[in-house]
Amino acid sequence: MLRKEQNDLLTHTGPGTPMGQLFRRYWLPVLLAEELPEHECPPVRVKLLSERLLAWRDTQGRYGLTDEFCAHRGVSLWFGRNEDNGLRCAYHGWKYDHTGQCVEMPSEPAESRFCEKIKLASYPLVERGGVLWAYLGPPELQPPLPEWEFATVPADRRFVSKRLQESNWLQALEGAIDSSHVSFLHRGELNTDPLFKGSRGNQYNLDDARPVFEVVESPGGLYIGARRNAEQGNYYWRVTQWVMPCFTMIPPRADHPVHGHFFVPIDDEQCWTWSFDYKVMRSLAPQEVQSMRAGKGIHVACAPGTFRPLANKDNDYLMDRAAQKRGETFSGVHGFGMQDASVQESMGPVVDRTKENLVSTDNGIIMARHRLLRSVRAMVENDVTPPGLDPAHQRCRSASVVLPPDQPFKDAAKSALVVQDNREHITV
Amino acid sequence: MKVIALDARSEPVVDDLARRRWNGAAFFTAADLVSDAKRLREAIDAADLVVMVATAGGHSPAVALIGEACSRRRVTTTGLIVCDEETSDEALSETLGRLRPWMLMLVVANSRDYIENMLLALRA
Repeated sequence: MLRKEQNDLLTHTGPGTPMGQLFRRYWLPVLLAEELPEHECPPVRVKLLSERLLAWRDTQGRYGLTDEFCAHRGVSLWFGRNEDNGLRCAYHGWKYDHTGQCVEMPSEPAESRFCEKIKLASYPLVERGGVLWAYLGPPELQPPLPEWEFATVPADRRFVSKRLQESNWLQALEGAIDSSHVSFLHRGELNTDPLFKGSRGNQYNLDDARPVFEVVESPGGLYIGARRNAEQGNYYWRVTQWVMPCFTMIPPRADHPVHGHFFVPIDDEQCWTWSFDYKVMRSLAPQEVQSMRAGKGIHVACAPGTFRPLANKDNDYLMDRAAQKRGETFSGVHGFGMQDASVQESMGPVVDRTKENLVSTDNGIIMARHRLLRSVRAMVENDVTPPGLDPAHQRCRSASVVLPPDQPFKDAAKSALVVQDNREHITV
Repeated sequence: MKVIALDARSEPVVDDLARRRWNGAAFFTAADLVSDAKRLREAIDAADLVVMVATAGGHSPAVALIGEACSRRRVTTTGLIVCDEETSDEALSETLGRLRPWMLMLVVANSRDYIENMLLALRA
């Protein structure tokens, strides 16, 4: 459980909140690069950490991430005209460049220089790995560009998607670092999903529903090791990475692409669940990409032209009781992504953690909260740089490995938990 | 819930925790329990969770005795290993190896305040 003030602290990320300050220290994924495909393309509304912004590309292709609303009368610039290196408000023609600087006020006298005094809030927006990343923090503290491995491999080796999740970001994150749910919530599809099936590890998962956990603090967050019995007294380890504040990487299965998530607050009651898959040494096969586009693996099929899942709370996630009875799914909801989203959204937009009853296998969650609280406090009170900003923290990997019983995963899999150039993940 | 200090360096940590108010959690040192079989049995019989606190590299010979008692009575066990900046990988590995056979959950924490936070989170 958390006290109410702790729960509020971790779940409120708007401007001026301590957790909002922490999130604003990181480059956050905001849009798929394909959402701003060309120069002068239509602008896209972005709500991030409760701020309403507009992402757009000017005539030269430069990215802008500016306040959504015109400084004049507060009209949404989404209705504006993207023309001649600026975005012009549709109401009175005020025009802004990609930095948010007002450059024209055609409704004012020609000799007026008032526009020089008007500048919208604006933030850096950069493309890396097919994703547009934004930095909303103090300019003097802007960190190096993101170094997550999936964003550094060639484009044909990765697939990235995003979906709207109708819950606070922390619910989504806590689901991703809770390894024990896999043997229940996802058990129906471990051996049938095209992006999971065929791994020896699946059988270990299914045969041993009571894994033993080891939670170890890492430089950037946590290693969460789940240990299950394998053959001849050996252990099958699945080591998940959590890097602060909202990145997780799921342990690989066989030669399937490796995947993970970011959970980025839109506001306090919604977040973007970003999902990525990649291979280091080979292109993704056409059938793998096709499966990802169709919502297999950790991805989700969304309503055309939107990022809202087709299965959502308004249609009870297309609950299929017959499939549940047949054992095809454990919960009746199809697909890993929607299985996670359905249970997490069912807790309400912001779950009341004063009422929960955690058990010792929830130590991954307890430790993640502890680190977040400790880091927020250290940052706010003593200007301590939070973990996860150092590019070395981002060059991490998950791993699945069979080890003799006397070997700690932290030591035996040490090299497997960091990026190894020109080598795939260690996997079973 | 029973909280047991496994080695000499973890004793002051657990002793400090024992002075606070809890929802029924009880605190012991391994040295006390292993010298009193009846007390050990009673402590574990009454527990739904036994938390054992160790420091990396600390000497914790009692873990097998307590762990085995928990295993016989099917009591859930959690091991908490506290490290500091000077903890070597070897010391941590040695302690992990000693605790691992007896724990259903092992946590390696870089600060001792995690123990209190974990106990609060579990409504100890």
